[in-house]
Amino acid sequence: MSDIVEIEQPQDAGHEMRDEIRQISDKFRARRQLRSRLMVILCGVALGVTAIPLGLLLYQLFRRGLPVILHASFFTQLPATPTLIAPNATGGVSNAIIGSLVLTAYAAVMAIPIGVLVGVYLAESSSKLAAALRVISQTMAGAPSILMGLFAFSFILQDLHVGFSAIAGSFALAVLMLPVIVIASEIAVRGVPNTLREAGLALGAKPHKVSLKIVLPAAVTGIVTGIILAISRAIGETAPVLLVIGGGYINSWKPLDPVSALPLSIYENAKSEWPSLRTEVWGIALVLVVFVFVLSLSARIWASRKQQAR
Amino acid sequence: MSNLPLLLESELEVRDQGVSEFNSGTPARSWYHYLLILACIIFAAVSVGFVGTILWNSLPTWEHHAGTLLGHTGWQAPNGPFGGLAMIVGTLETSIIALVVAVAIGLGTSISIVFLIPRRFRTVVATLVELLAAVPSIVYGLWGLLVLAPWMLNTVNPWLNSWPFAKEIFGNTGQEFGTSLLLASIVLAVMILPTFVAISREVISVVPQDLIEASLSLGATRWQVIREVVLPTAKVGLFGATFLALARATGETIAVALVAGGVANVQFHLLYPGTSIAAWIATEFGEAGHNEIGALMALGTLLMLINFSLALVSRWLVSRQRKVLAVV
Repeated sequence: MSDIVEIEQPQDAGHEMRDEIRQISDKFRARRQLRSRLMVILCGVALGVTAIPLGLLLYQLFRRGLPVILHASFFTQLPATPTLIAPNATGGVSNAIIGSLVLTAYAAVMAIPIGVLVGVYLAESSSKLAAALRVISQTMAGAPSILMGLFAFSFILQDLHVGFSAIAGSFALAVLMLPVIVIASEIAVRGVPNTLREAGLALGAKPHKVSLKIVLPAAVTGIVTGIILAISRAIGETAPVLLVIGGGYINSWKPLDPVSALPLSIYENAKSEWPSLRTEVWGIALVLVVFVFVLSLSARIWASRKQQAR
Repeated sequence: MSNLPLLLESELEVRDQGVSEFNSGTPARSWYHYLLILACIIFAAVSVGFVGTILWNSLPTWEHHAGTLLGHTGWQAPNGPFGGLAMIVGTLETSIIALVVAVAIGLGTSISIVFLIPRRFRTVVATLVELLAAVPSIVYGLWGLLVLAPWMLNTVNPWLNSWPFAKEIFGNTGQEFGTSLLLASIVLAVMILPTFVAISREVISVVPQDLIEASLSLGATRWQVIREVVLPTAKVGLFGATFLALARATGETIAVALVAGGVANVQFHLLYPGTSIAAWIATEFGEAGHNEIGALMALGTLLMLINFSLALVSRWLVSRQRKVLAVV
């Protein structure tokens, strides 16, 4: 019995201290947990604050846009100017849809070959030129798009004396797309395992054969993803084309004709005095957003397929 | 702008020295090599032409009217004087307000997406955010003009003005269309939010799980883990995301052109209309004569200067940070 008392004596002393420590730590833990809970709730609130305007934007876009695009004439007719006699005669936006496709197509033809080749060079070379071009492409990729419009205006319109035209807009969009394609291609080509290259070289293939027949096919998914993203960015840009395409009211595929574009007609209709045009504008915005969403989603699906294939 | 995550990826990627199969001493240089070099020369020429053309066209204005452009207000088309102070101040005001709002809310949102919402929703939400980041800015501008502007005019402005001193801070309501610098800042904030969240979510989600678990096992609360471990580890990427968002806000043209009101006054009362550099170029260019085009080009060089220096500072910060990390 006395043995046990002797053993318990020091335990009791520790117990007192432990209680004290526990009290202090409880106090701090309660404070820490309260603080943690508060901040977590704040983060949740931030999520809600983000979700509300963006959700509203998407909702209103579809809610107001769907009734507009359900009319076939929206896609097939040229725009009409409402008059006091026929205030709802807005026509369609066939010229803007064709214009956007034409602009993006010409821009893609100009930007893709150069962009991919430069990307391949950046990935495979360690020269000073490559280092400089890398900095240039990253700086250009973030340049404000209105500057591409200024460039296209002074180069194509003023220096080359080409009028307001599709080709001038395409040039501006091509300058916009180039750095994006360069960066994406460089990342894609860098992602190709070195073992593949070495295997090719070891079999006696010339460097350019290795690059063309082994590296490029292996990197093609990444390159295509980058190209799709560049196109989806270019098709939605207003500022660069605003200055140079002339906003033509005709359906035309010709590079020298003035054309319109979806973002441009959104800009013009949104500022219009006519309520009918301000209603129609939601339809145009919806078509544009659907274009962009389809492009981005296909890029994502394409990229995830690549990951699965590996 | 769905290329931004991509851009960041390339900026953050630690670069190896290249495979260098072309300069590994192989003497025979093929047609393919020259094709690549040709493409590079074209790309370099386009880039140099891009900067050079805008500079060249703005040179007369810089030579003769630099002081007016930088220090005066009032834009008298067609022959000047062309004062750019209002646009410069407007650009700074709108983009800084938008950035502060977007970064504060966006950081909370990214943390929520990565740590708080149920796992099975994460991919869906992340995809949605990336899609929203790809929505063209004109659509944000349209929404701001046709939905937010009437709401500001009828609800927000009267409510703001019912507070004491609000008139002195924000200005009076009575604006006819509801377009104002405040509305432009709000639209910019909503517009750069998805971009910022898309990148910062990515950056936060790659913080190693071991670090988080180690910290949790030491008894840290959820917020302590986020604050002491996750955010410091993700700091470089978050810097990058912030600078890209700022660059996007300063360069945004068409959304600001629609909702800022387009009035060239230096304006610190945010409920009054104003404008920004990019928006002013877009709205004035259509009817501009030769002299005015020169002045607009000069504004363009100013915008380029702001944008490129932001890009340089972010590159420098990121590289410095990487060095610090490498030492630790």
